[in-house]
Amino acid sequence: MGSYIGRQLLTIIPTVLLSIVVNFALLHAAPGDPARIYAGMDTATEEQIAAMRHDLGLDQPLPVQFVNYVKEIAKGNLGNSLAFRQPVRDLILDRMPATLLLTMTSAVIAFGGGTLLGAVAARKQNAATDLGLSFLSYTFFSIPAFWLGLILILVFASGLGWFPTSGMRNVRADYTGWRDWLDVAHHMVLPALTLILVQMPIFYRITRSSVAQQQREDYVTTFRATGIPEPRIFRRYALRNAILPTVTVFGLNLGYVVTGAALVEIIFAWPGIGRLALDAVFRRDYPLLLGIYLMLAVAVSLAILLTDVVYAMLDPRIRLR
Amino acid sequence: MQAPTLGTDAIDANAAAPLRAGSRSKLGEVWRLFVASRYGLVGLILLILVIIPAIFAAQLAPNADPFEIGAKPFLRPGEAGHPLGTDHLGRDVLSMVLYGARLSLMVGLVAAGIAAVIGVAVGSVSGYFGGWLDVILSRITDMFLIIPTFFLIIIVVATLGNGILYVMVVIGLTSWPGNARLMRAQVLTIRERTFVQGLNALGEGRFRILTRHVIPNSIQPVIANSTLLIAAGVLTEAALSFLGLGDANKASWGRMIYEGRTSILTAWWPSVFPGIAMIITVMAFYLIGDGLSYVLTPKTRRAGE
Repeated sequence: MGSYIGRQLLTIIPTVLLSIVVNFALLHAAPGDPARIYAGMDTATEEQIAAMRHDLGLDQPLPVQFVNYVKEIAKGNLGNSLAFRQPVRDLILDRMPATLLLTMTSAVIAFGGGTLLGAVAARKQNAATDLGLSFLSYTFFSIPAFWLGLILILVFASGLGWFPTSGMRNVRADYTGWRDWLDVAHHMVLPALTLILVQMPIFYRITRSSVAQQQREDYVTTFRATGIPEPRIFRRYALRNAILPTVTVFGLNLGYVVTGAALVEIIFAWPGIGRLALDAVFRRDYPLLLGIYLMLAVAVSLAILLTDVVYAMLDPRIRLR
Repeated sequence: MQAPTLGTDAIDANAAAPLRAGSRSKLGEVWRLFVASRYGLVGLILLILVIIPAIFAAQLAPNADPFEIGAKPFLRPGEAGHPLGTDHLGRDVLSMVLYGARLSLMVGLVAAGIAAVIGVAVGSVSGYFGGWLDVILSRITDMFLIIPTFFLIIIVVATLGNGILYVMVVIGLTSWPGNARLMRAQVLTIRERTFVQGLNALGEGRFRILTRHVIPNSIQPVIANSTLLIAAGVLTEAALSFLGLGDANKASWGRMIYEGRTSILTAWWPSVFPGIAMIITVMAFYLIGDGLSYVLTPKTRRAGE
């Protein structure tokens, strides 16, 4: 198992390094001079801009800037945000809990719900339930998350008034303790529902097709021939084997959902990483942008690594290969 | 965003086998199965519903110029010769939706085309020649699979410019790894077939065998996957436009939703109709993709019927 993890790490480390290089190059190839922007577009003198450039370390040659950057990362320092004038690490850590809360909650519920419905649909293929669920799955799979979010706000927040339209807390009420938790949960219903609805089809589809495939396997035919009752074959053997691909997809999806959630965070003014990332893009805040991207690349890689490990634990064939 | 992963996995699970050769008419057989799959047929009907209006946008649209600013903002659907109403600048929503269809289809097709070319090239070379070339190309493919693409696309478009060409190329350049993997797996099996071995024995050039025989015989999964990539491209372009990062000179569904968003509580139609158009388009390609992979995988087909 140890060597297995080691081999996986060998893919991940170069990948993360590559994404740093790509981003670094990209951001420095970009038009627009951050020193000029932050010194004040119109009013700054050439001396002020030069001083700003020196302060930001932008007067160094690119390779030197890059080496310095990687050195600082190794020390756990992601630099200072140009726009917020705060350490990038603090900014990210500050926004992280909101994003994690939203994405994890929705990913877990979507995983559970999608898998369950997929298994239900696969048991009786082409029955009314299966067709209905498959239709819904195609529909929600085709809906862009940001549009669905708007529609949910339109119907449930402004139309019916059941949920707040945006934010994470009621800023006028200064709740504490469980009342605060309840407030956050109330605010989270619509953004979480949006993400759940667009993710469920992913798990539904993969479970449905893999359960259907398992039920055609020879071992299931053998069990049937020996007279083991159908529900028992399904629960104890077919379903367990069919869950494996779902686990992989869960891990892959976990990485993507953080980026996918960014748009939903914006719609609902949810104070997470997504909003921060877009601010960074529009304000040309290079250090912040690189920091967030690095964090995302690491998060995605770790999610994939973790999935591979869980998969190997569940399926000895992978480990022994 | 989340879409590309699904497509690849769904097809990867049952890597397609080539169609039985020697049937009376190969194309006829494909068509019969495609229709029999139902999904494919429904998808095709939906696609026609999108393509025809897109082609005849100029004839069908009430306003020849979709950006033409009207005197009356926020007319309700059906009022004053505007079947889908007008937006905050008095522009005709139907005209913009029609021209938006052109843009969406173009972005999807071009991006998926780029991804297909790169994916086929990388995957087939990797699978056919093997060795160190395979190791390197596979590693690169894996890296591109792991990189958070949507965020990368945002950075590229935000820094280098958001012309429509950039948008299409960037989406294409980041969505090929799935194709490369499908292609590689397929080439690995085709390469061992008797007819390829025979060509080798006859002294046919290796590169010629690859381009003339191996690639044409292993490309089907990439075709099925490409329809899913078209759908993903449509969604990505919409997401970029929604963030204000799309091409501002083109009528785009994402941009309409973005602009209609602030007034959605008083006027829903400028942002709801482009959303519905997008769902129909994306669903059409997903259904066609599933229909195609059904045709191309004899194993599930037999059991499914």
